[in-house]
Amino acid sequence: MQVYKAFFKVIQKNRAQILIYLVVFMALALILSGAYNPPQDTDFTKVKVNIAFINDDGDSQLVAGLKTYLGENANLVAIPDETQKLQDALFFRQVEYILRVPAGFTEDMLNGKEVQLEKTTVPDSTSNIYMDLLINKYLNTVKTYTTYLPGLSQDDLSQNLEKDLAEQSKVTMISNGTHSIYAEKSGYYFNYLSYSLFAILILGVCSVMLVFNDTDLKRRNLCSPIRSANMNMQMVLGNLSFAILTWLVLISASFIMYGSFMFTATGLLLLLNSFVFTLAVLSISYLIGNLVKSRGAMSAIANVFALGTSFISGVFVPQELLGANVLTIASFTPTYWYVKANNEITAAVSFNTGNLSSIFTSMVLVLAFGVAVLGVTLVLIKQRRVES
Amino acid sequence: MFLFNYRYRLKCIFKDRQLMFWTFMFPILLATLFNLAFANLSSSDNFKKVNVAVVQNEQLDQNPAFVKALDGADNLFVVKYTTQDQAAVLLSDHDIDGYITFDPDLNLVVNQSSLNQTIIRGFLDDFKQSSATITTIITQNPSALANGNLEGISSRTEYLKAVAANQSNPDPVVNYFYAMIAMTCLYGGFLGVKEVVAIQADLSDVGARINLAPTNKLTVFLASIMAATTVQLLELLILLAFIIGVLGISFGDQLGYIALTCVVGSLTGVTFGTCIAAIIKKGEGLKIGILIGSTMIMCFLAGMMSANIKYTVMTKAPILGYLNPANLITDSFYALYYYNTHTQFFTDILLLCGFTLFFSSVTYFVLRRQKYASL
Repeated sequence: MQVYKAFFKVIQKNRAQILIYLVVFMALALILSGAYNPPQDTDFTKVKVNIAFINDDGDSQLVAGLKTYLGENANLVAIPDETQKLQDALFFRQVEYILRVPAGFTEDMLNGKEVQLEKTTVPDSTSNIYMDLLINKYLNTVKTYTTYLPGLSQDDLSQNLEKDLAEQSKVTMISNGTHSIYAEKSGYYFNYLSYSLFAILILGVCSVMLVFNDTDLKRRNLCSPIRSANMNMQMVLGNLSFAILTWLVLISASFIMYGSFMFTATGLLLLLNSFVFTLAVLSISYLIGNLVKSRGAMSAIANVFALGTSFISGVFVPQELLGANVLTIASFTPTYWYVKANNEITAAVSFNTGNLSSIFTSMVLVLAFGVAVLGVTLVLIKQRRVES
Repeated sequence: MFLFNYRYRLKCIFKDRQLMFWTFMFPILLATLFNLAFANLSSSDNFKKVNVAVVQNEQLDQNPAFVKALDGADNLFVVKYTTQDQAAVLLSDHDIDGYITFDPDLNLVVNQSSLNQTIIRGFLDDFKQSSATITTIITQNPSALANGNLEGISSRTEYLKAVAANQSNPDPVVNYFYAMIAMTCLYGGFLGVKEVVAIQADLSDVGARINLAPTNKLTVFLASIMAATTVQLLELLILLAFIIGVLGISFGDQLGYIALTCVVGSLTGVTFGTCIAAIIKKGEGLKIGILIGSTMIMCFLAGMMSANIKYTVMTKAPILGYLNPANLITDSFYALYYYNTHTQFFTDILLLCGFTLFFSSVTYFVLRRQKYASL
């Protein structure tokens, strides 16, 4: 097993480069699982938009009432009243709506004069429309009262408003069954896994291939007493064990983070999907390993492949946000089908022939990619041998 | 002599394919990927009319006021009138965001809680609350109905007027591109490392040869740095032209200031590289490793991976932002695009000049007068 041992010696020498991608992935996985909490769809909860409320008017019951009303229906974020700080908050979506109550608002409003509040928003956004609806509702109710019940004291007005606006309509939530809180999280985990897997396998396999394809070394190996079939067998074994080892390391954190969830149907399908994907990536890495000539080109190609496929296939940005033509291009990479299957697995509440057939079609396509690329590589190797 | 060196250093750089890939092709590729991936990100917030179905039954026919109110809200909703079963099917196929039914009270049926459902809910609440208001008015002042009609209730006044924060759209996607340009600037450090390696006698054969020549080392080095900066600036301008012209990302219209940022950013990047190469005595691999690692951390803090990181740093630890060259470059572009004043921009540029000065001084004091007992 000299060849097999040599394979892992070369990997050992290149471990620094490979470890970087492992660390990047683990960091991403940890940050994601800590930060992201998917909404629970068993009861209806209204979405609260983040808004900033700035009052240039004096303290009055009317303004306080409006603020309380908005506080119940939106998240009030405290931002200092400075132009740049407000602009920053809006730009980075810390708030999506800035409402400014002008000076003299209470008096004008109670006297039925025309008055307008200033809003600064993300143009055309849905949150903008919703907040307009809420604020106009409150102020129109005030107007109705001041019109039809003139002379109503501010106290009574607030009481009436509070009572009226507490009226709520009934909402029935049709639940699609319970969904594990881990389902969506683990989906992200396995999607990100594709980025590191691509980078690590390309780097690992290429660095070994560069050594073994070196002309002098190859000639020396060919005149060794080991049969060429035996040598190739050991190489195949080396590649496979390296890929499986990488897969095991990358999925290991999922067991720590999601525990027994990984043994449910969803978890097992995710594992199977990632394993199939590993084989396809190995096959692509093997092709690249037989094409690159230098270590510089190797790290360039590893980065381009890992980043490129991840960006267009929906690893970093969800597939539903990508344009149709981007997805068409992406469907020529296995990553697209891998991510598609992951999304379908995690979205499914129960598995039936419908969604399972779609999931397995994706897996078969990923496998087909692997086989096709392997075929091309073998033809390439054969051709080279005949030429030389 | 200066021009001779300058020309040959230019040739050396352009012939280095790996270097050209990382400092030139890679940023262009990354910009293209950003553009493909983020194209729909900001428009995904855009309001599209909410699809609702209303179940047609007897109770609905008894509430003409509701149908009237719903008709009046055609800027919010696309309404379909269906049977109960059709509505359920539409909902499970996600063709509608929810359906409204009277059974006999107003009831909204949904299968998820997101903003669109909240809007339908808000509209229904509005309807119920208006009825409550009318009831309150009639109980407290029965003559209101007698004095006039209650038509005023259904006429709505618009109480909001939009005030734009400024002329530019608050689109967080542009920040990814700004941070990416900051990355390109700092990747100019590759050129800086190359030039230092090429002039230090203990790092390369060329360096040993140059040190033998009866030429002032500073003159030779200045020529190298000039060559590196020229290439870096050229690459940056092509990248910028690509991002603005081909990808259509907005940088505002202050071209002069944008060019100034590019020049200062290039200088910062190249001197950043020379500084690292001068301080770290070990091999070229480690120098490059540290250059890439520190650039990535700085760009992460400037919001290249997630724009929110930049905001968190801005509000929670502003000092960290001012000590981070990548953030300063990003922030310069951001200030030019988004702010109405130039105070922030000039603060950033001055700090960047400070960093450039600092990096060059460190490089200068480490590189000068080095003598070798043996090579």
